[in-house]
Amino acid sequence: MAVERFHFQVIIDNAHYLLVGNLAQGQIGGVLLTLLIALSSGLLALIIGFVLALLCRFFPRRLAPALGTLGELVRGIPLLLLIFWLYFLLPMLLGRGAPDTISVIAALALFNAFSVMLTILSGLAALPPGQNEAAMASGFTHWQRLRWVLLPQALSHILPSLVNLFVALIKDTSLAFVVSVPELTLVSSQINNREQIYPLEIFLTAGAIYFALCSSLTWAAHQLENRLARRQLSIV
Amino acid sequence: MKHYHFDWSAVWSGQPLTWLLHGVGVTMLLTVLSCLLASLLAVILLALRFVPWRPAGWLAAGWIQLFRNTPLTVQMLFWYFGALPLLPEGLRNALANGPILLGLPLPSSEMLTAIWSLGLFSAAFLAEDLRAGVRAVPFGQWETVRSQGFSTWPALRHVILPQALAHAWPPMVNQYLNVLKNSPLAMSIAVAELMYQTNQIESFNFHGIEAYASASVLYLLIGLALSQLLQRLGPAPLHDKGVPHGR
Repeated sequence: MAVERFHFQVIIDNAHYLLVGNLAQGQIGGVLLTLLIALSSGLLALIIGFVLALLCRFFPRRLAPALGTLGELVRGIPLLLLIFWLYFLLPMLLGRGAPDTISVIAALALFNAFSVMLTILSGLAALPPGQNEAAMASGFTHWQRLRWVLLPQALSHILPSLVNLFVALIKDTSLAFVVSVPELTLVSSQINNREQIYPLEIFLTAGAIYFALCSSLTWAAHQLENRLARRQLSIV
Repeated sequence: MKHYHFDWSAVWSGQPLTWLLHGVGVTMLLTVLSCLLASLLAVILLALRFVPWRPAGWLAAGWIQLFRNTPLTVQMLFWYFGALPLLPEGLRNALANGPILLGLPLPSSEMLTAIWSLGLFSAAFLAEDLRAGVRAVPFGQWETVRSQGFSTWPALRHVILPQALAHAWPPMVNQYLNVLKNSPLAMSIAVAELMYQTNQIESFNFHGIEAYASASVLYLLIGLALSQLLQRLGPAPLHDKGVPHGR
């Protein structure tokens, strides 16, 4: 066990596999797949979450309670269990085998869609009621009020929270490891199984890559928050 | 979907039921022990932030950033494959052969690694909630209590910390629930908790829907019980804006 010296060579030897997996054989993997899963499920979650939030606003009696409960259930069980649910159900529902990556993307998108929905709704609820009332008094319809008055303000307030949700999403892509999707974590563990004697080097490198991705985004969210706070001060 | 034959007894009787109940027990043990470890470490991290020596605060901040910005999966694999083999051989052998401490059998080394990983990961989040709680206590409280002749520790002990904990408790309860929801990751280092056992049932008799539905209900129930318990154990909620109740 080479404790005294960090064995860089094993990382250099496997750098290509860590970054893109078996890309030459047409199998995307490694960091590239991690980013692909995070971006696609993040985008899906944003769209679905936005639609769900609008549904809650337009049907506060009929849909909002049901969607709220559904959100509690989806977010109340472990994310890994949700991945197994979709991993098991999607092929049955589609009538044919679905790639494992799709199940993971679907689970992450579903889980985060409800988080996005809650974030947007709380962003809207945090606006001073005078905004809605003034727009109403100016003769705006329900949709026009949301589109031109409420959503632009709420979205700029919740932008940092959405970035933080995305940071959590990047970390959650590592759960795909458990269902053998060759993203960064699984690829690292494959390299570890092959090399056997460099687990510290391999998992520290994987951790450092996740850390670089997540902490730079966290930093960006923080900057965004500061800028918004300053803008608010200058308005007041 | 049309060929699926529902049979709840495939999960709730015989061997699968034994597995399921065993999984519930392991999940609860894992969650409770990780929560205890996380709380202890969170208090230490919080204390480091208030030590007058600046580098202690930097250490705590760096530690928290490190653990918050990397996935628990990687942390668990790191501790299990990377750090565990670095332990002295005698200790490792003792752990592998069903460790015994003071006459009591300890959990397996996989279970201990899972508790350790989950505890360290969650401590970073708890510490941040605690710190936010301390910062939410108005500075006037501190000035007032000091002007009444309290020295630092009694002031913290009797006035500042109780309020800070009351502020921090609701987000902390959420973090404790996250410990439960993160506990299935222990299956990746072969801890036979609820998720592991559910998959075992699925591959045993292919009744996946019943197995996953049962696991979902069990996780929701454990979560409900945990949050009820924590709300009862925790401090009473503060009245708005942290103004103490009554005059």
